[in-house]
Amino acid sequence: MNRKYELVYVVSPEASDEQVADLHTQVEAIVQRIGGQIEKTENWGRRKLAYEIGRHKEGTYVLEVLLGGGELMKEIDRRLKVTDLVIRHLVVRVDEEQGVVERTRSRRTETSRRRRVARGLPADRQPGEGQRGEVDDDRDDRFDMGEELR
Amino acid sequence: MNGKKSFGGGGRGKGAAGQQGKDGQRRPMFRRRKVCKFCSDKIDDINYKDVRMLMPFVPERAKVLPRRISGTCALHQRKLRTAIMRARQLALIPYTTE
Repeated sequence: MNRKYELVYVVSPEASDEQVADLHTQVEAIVQRIGGQIEKTENWGRRKLAYEIGRHKEGTYVLEVLLGGGELMKEIDRRLKVTDLVIRHLVVRVDEEQGVVERTRSRRTETSRRRRVARGLPADRQPGEGQRGEVDDDRDDRFDMGEELR
Repeated sequence: MNGKKSFGGGGRGKGAAGQQGKDGQRRPMFRRRKVCKFCSDKIDDINYKDVRMLMPFVPERAKVLPRRISGTCALHQRKLRTAIMRARQLALIPYTTE
């Protein structure tokens, strides 16, 4: 079972840097115990909360991207729930969504290339071609003009 | 923006532009056809972590901006809603303002 999850947790502003690091080690320990992998860890630092959570107005945000099964996330979720230092957390499964995004992207590039070839243009956009500046996306072929139109 | 409308969007865009001409004669105010921001900018991934991207769709009262105003297409409005709800849970976006 190899799924990709994103875990974001908000640590109470009273926590010291060591405590935040300690929480990360705790998560790491669970991941290692149950079997999984940490792909990425990102500390967003201290941010202002959009609303108060139990008298707190700020919080330290930490993002972790994990590979593993549902059991692993269940355990992490349970642990974070009982940890008082963590004032909010969110687990989102992202692998399926990412797959969809990649597929739409490659499909778009492909259609664009095909349509360009059908119009007798080179498959890839040439530098300085079409209306640049309007769209930065090179995969976009909507604004490419054939020679006769120019 | 104007250039976009005259070239783009294939058949659908052109049809709507023709209608607009008629409308324009009837009423003096010219209304621009709304386009989905995510479709035109080719943003496939509406992410809850990107608060800067979500903020224009969360007006003062912190409600989700309706489709009839933003012009977002159904697919992207649905994704946007999920992203906003997730961001709210993490206190990145408010649920409401006092």
